Amino acid sequence: MERREDLYDEVVRTYGAALGRLASAYEADPDRRRDLLQDVHLAIWNSLESFDARCSLRTWVYRVGHNVATSHVIGDRRKKSLHLISIDDIDIADQRNNAEESIERGLALDRLMALIQTLKPIERQIVLLFLEGVDAAGIAEVTGLSAGNVATRIHRIKNILINRFQGGGKS
Amino acid sequence: MTNDSVSRMCDVWQRDSGEPPRFTPDELRRNMGKFERTIARRNLREYFAGAFVIAIFAYYTWMFPTLTLRIGCGLIIFGTIYVIYQLHRRASARPAPADLGQRSCVDFQRAELERQRDALRSVWSWYLLPFLPGMCVFLFGIFQFAMRITHAAGRQFHAGIAVTAIGLIAGCVAIVFFAVWRLNRWAANKLQAQIDELDWLTRDSA
Repeated sequence: MERREDLYDEVVRTYGAALGRLASAYEADPDRRRDLLQDVHLAIWNSLESFDARCSLRTWVYRVGHNVATSHVIGDRRKKSLHLISIDDIDIADQRNNAEESIERGLALDRLMALIQTLKPIERQIVLLFLEGVDAAGIAEVTGLSAGNVATRIHRIKNILINRFQGGGKS
Repeated sequence: MTNDSVSRMCDVWQRDSGEPPRFTPDELRRNMGKFERTIARRNLREYFAGAFVIAIFAYYTWMFPTLTLRIGCGLIIFGTIYVIYQLHRRASARPAPADLGQRSCVDFQRAELERQRDALRSVWSWYLLPFLPGMCVFLFGIFQFAMRITHAAGRQFHAGIAVTAIGLIAGCVAIVFFAVWRLNRWAANKLQAQIDELDWLTRDSA
């Protein structure tokens, strides 16, 4: 039990903020988001009893987090009626405006979050893990896709980020 | 320089917006208890709905004078109990399984979609079919009963009119059954499309 509590402490310390962002990316409604986050923490707490270090704690935590959140999306009647899109469906149009300032002020984040919330679960997982700084191999381990497939999608995500959310092309 | 910009975007994304939410082990245990109570309440609602149907048909079993009608009511009661059991088995909310960390997101999502698809596809066998024998016997019992009381009253029994009336009732029931089956089939096909898409993604990665 102590080991589980120690592991959970480590999870909150290291991945607590990322799990908060994960919940925000899967649920826009604040009340339901709090419930989702609680469900994610509860699932992690329960799962840590069987954590056997066959994969890293990071992979474990992200798998549990994304699996709970995916279950939330596909089990939610309201969300079932929404048309979720793929990364490939996003128009990489150049929508930069006052790019540097908007990045600094985090204005682009709101638009980015709104875009992520429209993505299909598997695509959402890739984008979120990428934004959390997980590399292609790590994303592949969490999602179950091949590193090559993930790399292709990351390339597309980078293009979207550069062209739609910041002025990367300027510098 | 574009990679620098993307890195900066990731940095901004990861910038902490305050203290991350934290739950103590006690809070988590309490939440677990709350979740279990929610499931228990939901199950109770299902049982009450079932008990209501069972009570009505139990009353009919006691009230109706013919054996056929009583058997029909009894079969409907059995059908209702079976459907409640299946609803409980297939659709009740469950806590997240403990092996979530061992399964990749694609595997987990596929399994969830398949579970939902199979429940919808087999709706005919576990949600509609259990009521069918009871319905048929019940309708036949009504026909028999109508014939008996008409004869007892010394009037002529018009079998054609009785068959038409019962056929109309049976037709309405059949339409409702068909609509439920079609809707579930449509929902199952939508889930299958999502499964195919996941398969395509995984095949693509092979």
